Amino acid sequence: MDNDLRINFMWHLIWDYRGELIQGLWTAVAVSITALFLSLFIGLVFALAKMSRFAFFRGLSTIYVNIFRGIPALVSVIWVYFGWSLLFGRNFTVYQAGVIALTLLYSAFFSEIFRSALQAIHKGQREAGMALGMTRIRIFRSIIMPQGLKIAIPNIGSMYIGMIKDTSTFAVIGLAEVVRVTQTINSQYFQPFVLYTAAALLYVAIAFLVDYIFKGFESTITYPSNGILYRFLTRKKRAHIQKLVDANS
Amino acid sequence: MTGSNTIISLRQIKKSFASTEVLHGIDLDVHAGSHTVIFGPSGSGKSTVLRTMNLLEKPNSGSICFENREYGPGLDSAKLERGKPLELRRRVGMVFQQFNLFPHFSAIDNIAIPLATVTGISKSDARERGAIELKKVGLLPWAASYPSQLSGGQQQRVAIARALSIDPILMLFDEPTSALDPELVGEVLAVMRSLAESGMTMVVVTHEMNFAKEIGDQHIFMEAGNIVATGDANFFDNCENERARQFIGSVL
Ligand SMILES: Nc1ncnc2c1ncn2[C@@H]1O[C@H](COP(=O)(O)OP(=O)(O)O)[C@@H](O)[C@H]1O
Ligand SMILES: [Mg+2]
Repeated sequence: MDNDLRINFMWHLIWDYRGELIQGLWTAVAVSITALFLSLFIGLVFALAKMSRFAFFRGLSTIYVNIFRGIPALVSVIWVYFGWSLLFGRNFTVYQAGVIALTLLYSAFFSEIFRSALQAIHKGQREAGMALGMTRIRIFRSIIMPQGLKIAIPNIGSMYIGMIKDTSTFAVIGLAEVVRVTQTINSQYFQPFVLYTAAALLYVAIAFLVDYIFKGFESTITYPSNGILYRFLTRKKRAHIQKLVDANS
Repeated sequence: MTGSNTIISLRQIKKSFASTEVLHGIDLDVHAGSHTVIFGPSGSGKSTVLRTMNLLEKPNSGSICFENREYGPGLDSAKLERGKPLELRRRVGMVFQQFNLFPHFSAIDNIAIPLATVTGISKSDARERGAIELKKVGLLPWAASYPSQLSGGQQQRVAIARALSIDPILMLFDEPTSALDPELVGEVLAVMRSLAESGMTMVVVTHEMNFAKEIGDQHIFMEAGNIVATGDANFFDNCENERARQFIGSVL
């Protein structure tokens, strides 16, 4: 009997529950993408604080980064979902709690990624902008940030894959992401090998996709770029330059 | 003090990095249309003087007068209105040893994007100006090229075109050919020579003594944070200062 159970892999379960599994993946992606945008923004703010000339902001950033990059996602989400609701007297939805938990952790990582990327830009770049009479904000926006972003993008991509994987721990608060869905199906059929193989494949597939997308971003802002997206986005600009060259030759 | 044809004057400029004073009280006047050459051993403070002129370095004491405005900590004797660094920088162009082109912009956008943000003209007008400036340095066909696709000499010519696009009344050059392979030096010097001939006021830090002799009408020899010898166009022929003569002999 036991033997039967073990060798009787019900692979068809994956197909039967494809809708639920994909829905779980979609939930994981939705939570992590929302958190990605929030943590990119907050991470940038803390990176700038860390490079501020005011010791207070630098200290604040150091404390924030050191606290939040050390907390595991599982602890973070339980803390937010069960803990913060006591503190603020309001209940977060599981979706909100997941987004907040991920944002707290990954904004700390992104802060470090942005800081090192921005500091990698040669100081001659800032000086050239200053010598041309550009304001500090203009120099940051047009010169420092675009070059820093290019350095940061591969790291942002691998961090984002980590964010998707971390959503798996949110099963604990009942977020219907991949692992939670898998657990639910498994409790009916007891087919852990089949079902968790499916879960693993979903994570691997999404990691490949994310990697592909970020490589695309990267090649788009590589200069000179042969990326299709780059060529599409800059076609008007390139035509304009060609027109000027022809007109002045 | 400040004659009507003086473009910029430095008075008693002192500059320290951490606790080390590297400029010990520099006095220097640059007249309209003149070509000042600063030379001297490495570490003597040439770059720091040049960078003080567009306030990339803030002096610890002393005064910079430019277009009837005073910059820097100032002197009690000066009775000029204080100026904002941005106003000065928008009238002064600078060319760096390492070119400092923006690697993420094409040659023409290296000119157009700063120009558009600084003057407020449209990007497309700025590109038209960029094309004109590139043509002057012989690089119009490379307008769409990125810095990484250009030789060092070409990059430095773009950098000169970029600096000229803001219509400066003073151009600063900090060893513009020192980072170049020898065979690329000539093309950059040719651009600078024609700029000098057009009457642009220039201050040039260089080790190219033949070029210095050719265009220079005010020569400044620096050593250890001081100006130790100055002279006019004939400086190289009748220089009295022993140290300056030795130095010229060693680099010529
Ligand atoms: N940013 C800086 N921080 C500390 N010391 C500096 C800095 N810039 C220049 N110095 C020092 O100031 C002195 C003059 O430097 P610099 O003006 O670059 O000389 P030069 O251009 O004549 O070679 C040198 O001793 C140099 O080490
Ligand atoms: Mg120097």
